[in-house]
Amino acid sequence: MTQRLQIGLVFITMSMGFGFLQYPNLIFKITKTGHFVVVLSYGLLQMFLMIIYKKGLNYFPKQDIIDIYLKMGRWVAFIFLIPYVLNLTALVAMSLRQHAENIGSIFLSRTPDWSILILLLFISTFTAIKGLGTILRSSFFIFFIVNFLVLFVVISSIVNVDFKNALPAYPSSLDFLTKKDFFYLMGFSSILFLGFVPPETKLKFGQLFAEWTYVIFFYLAVVYLPLFIFGQETVVTFHFPAKDAVDSVDINWFIFNQQTIFFGMSMVGLTILLNAVLLWIIGQIIRKLFNWQRNKPSYWICAFSLIAFIFAVSVPNLAWIEKLSLWSAGVHAYFIVIIPFTIFIYGVIANRGMTGYENK
Amino acid sequence: MQKLVQEIKSIFANHDDFFIQEEHFKQTAIFLIGFNTMIDFTHSNLYIRQMAKMSASVNELFTNLSDQLDVDLEQIIKAILDGKLVLLSECNRNALLVPISRKLSRSIDEPKNESIIQGPLNAFGEDIDINLGMIRKWLGTERLCHCSHQIGQLTKRRISMLYIKGKAPIALIEKVDRLLKQIESDIVTIDDLNKHFGQHKFNPISYLFSTEIPIQAIDSLKKNRVVLFLDNYPCALVFPHLFLDMLTTVNDRNFPIGLSLLIRALRGLGALATLILPALYVALTSVNPDVLKIDLALFISKSREGIPLTPIVETLTMVVLVDLIIEAILRLPKSVGPTITMVGGIILGQAMVDAKLVSNLLVIVVTAMLIANSSVVGVQNSLYIRALKYPILILASVYGILGLFTGLTFVCIYLASLTSCDIAYMTFRIEGKGDTI
Repeated sequence: MTQRLQIGLVFITMSMGFGFLQYPNLIFKITKTGHFVVVLSYGLLQMFLMIIYKKGLNYFPKQDIIDIYLKMGRWVAFIFLIPYVLNLTALVAMSLRQHAENIGSIFLSRTPDWSILILLLFISTFTAIKGLGTILRSSFFIFFIVNFLVLFVVISSIVNVDFKNALPAYPSSLDFLTKKDFFYLMGFSSILFLGFVPPETKLKFGQLFAEWTYVIFFYLAVVYLPLFIFGQETVVTFHFPAKDAVDSVDINWFIFNQQTIFFGMSMVGLTILLNAVLLWIIGQIIRKLFNWQRNKPSYWICAFSLIAFIFAVSVPNLAWIEKLSLWSAGVHAYFIVIIPFTIFIYGVIANRGMTGYENK
Repeated sequence: MQKLVQEIKSIFANHDDFFIQEEHFKQTAIFLIGFNTMIDFTHSNLYIRQMAKMSASVNELFTNLSDQLDVDLEQIIKAILDGKLVLLSECNRNALLVPISRKLSRSIDEPKNESIIQGPLNAFGEDIDINLGMIRKWLGTERLCHCSHQIGQLTKRRISMLYIKGKAPIALIEKVDRLLKQIESDIVTIDDLNKHFGQHKFNPISYLFSTEIPIQAIDSLKKNRVVLFLDNYPCALVFPHLFLDMLTTVNDRNFPIGLSLLIRALRGLGALATLILPALYVALTSVNPDVLKIDLALFISKSREGIPLTPIVETLTMVVLVDLIIEAILRLPKSVGPTITMVGGIILGQAMVDAKLVSNLLVIVVTAMLIANSSVVGVQNSLYIRALKYPILILASVYGILGLFTGLTFVCIYLASLTSCDIAYMTFRIEGKGDTI
């Protein structure tokens, strides 16, 4: 029971980590009015994929998705999972670089990015090496600290809010569904993680709904906060609207100059946990795909985090990072659609074959 | 018979406190053998003489005195070492009897290292049987199981394992039992035992939580844990050691629930303050002064005016000095301890501030940290919390607030990664059925 709760907390924290920086920016690009419709339709679409994925996983009660792919055949597993590993590495690299850049700009404007990158990546790698148990247990603390900070930031920002900025409340049309940016938006989700957790502790549907609702409320908050403060016309011009919204707040009685440091701290917690999970997934996939004798996941996690580090450091500037992180999010969106469907379809076929066999 | 006596004599030739006394009973020579440092010989001899008056023959005397008759040489030697009195007669009979022994252990005392407010004041002592007896007396149930081992190479040391049947997970009991059986070397300290339980060399957190207080041990037993007793060690060792041991004691529950929750929250705050206060000072003075409101930042920089040391050196000096003082006070005799503390604390602090070596603010910060640190339960816990503040301090001096927060996160993750016998340190409670994450 407690482990289920912890998995739920990791799921929420990962979703927050994915979307905290990029998500509002994309939403503002997609639509000019009725932002909540975009968020909700994104939420519904993700929920639909989650149900498909969960149904697919339920066909194989004692296996995670690597086992299921290996069951389909070794080559199928390689074809689906190796590109996924590469995509995860790119995600780790890009999200870390982006976060390091942002965190640096909040706390240490003169420190080079690579030193912050090393710090964050080291802790993520350490956590990933220690395994799922450590991730789950530490998620408990990180979740509460981070959510407390986020809540504080959101509540303290209310002083600058002007509700008229969000008008008109309803969208003029639904053609945002066909936009390329909406596809990128799909990349911000952690549903694939649910397939990698130990099978005996898989989440139930009800719990999943509750957690996803929490995430959607969080997304609504980070989208509407800058919108209420600045209005659509201004907000489109920002790179990271949420950060700028928090930056604008000034409370007289508070000892700190700006609330941005709390925003920065919450980002540190989110990015460490998110990247730890991604690196752990990489380690799991490689360990199960290759049957070598000295195939320890910790070696692979180290190797891939080194690759991610080199990748992240060699990107020259912020414009590049944004472009590349959108691409990696795009590829991730592709996997988020394709993996649940393959699992589900294979589940249906395998199940039918099984029942047919039993009927005979 | 003389041959056996000679043999025993030659074995104990190098022991000056070893004695062989010859007595005569109905024209038969009897040898009394033992250590006079362990046996009260005068009283024991008197007792034997009185028994002899009531017995008709040597054989009857031996049966009256003891039920361990006619054992082999090896057992005789072990009995002598254990402090028993050995009787040998000319007619090839021997008996091991429990003599009136010298008083070598102290009686039940009050706890020395743990202070109790509103609770029973008995504490464990060195004698393992008295300790076990105390637990038995306070926890009178047939479900309390006791399993004893003799371990060690040079000396055999007794280790007793207690658990409540049906409460402690079976896997845990079996694992501890197996680990204890596997020990072949001598166990002198808790760290030796920890190593056999699989603790990493540089891990500062012990696998065993030691407590002097019987009701604490009983409470741990009721919470599905295993309690170990080591011979000549005045503490119960609770296995596994959990994070919550740092924040809770059973005596808290003598207060209403609201107050006990408050006390526990304060302890958590104390641990947190120890970890972050010095680091926060360094971060705010050297790396991130800009995050503070301008008048606060000015106030801090004013309090540091004219101080030649950089914040990290200044803080490290003070923190190390304070840790040194704590270590020194522990070794000082109780009569001079308080005086030296007062003189050291007040004069040293004042002089350092006057000499402009450290700032006023830092003295406040370090004192607050030190006092906060003592609020956690258990000496070993407060020690490791004190040790963990150093990495955070170093990180904060490099990365400022960011370093402080990542350091804190890292400590959280590190503590979460610790497990002993597959039970995580950060677990809140141990499930009876073995469900332990």
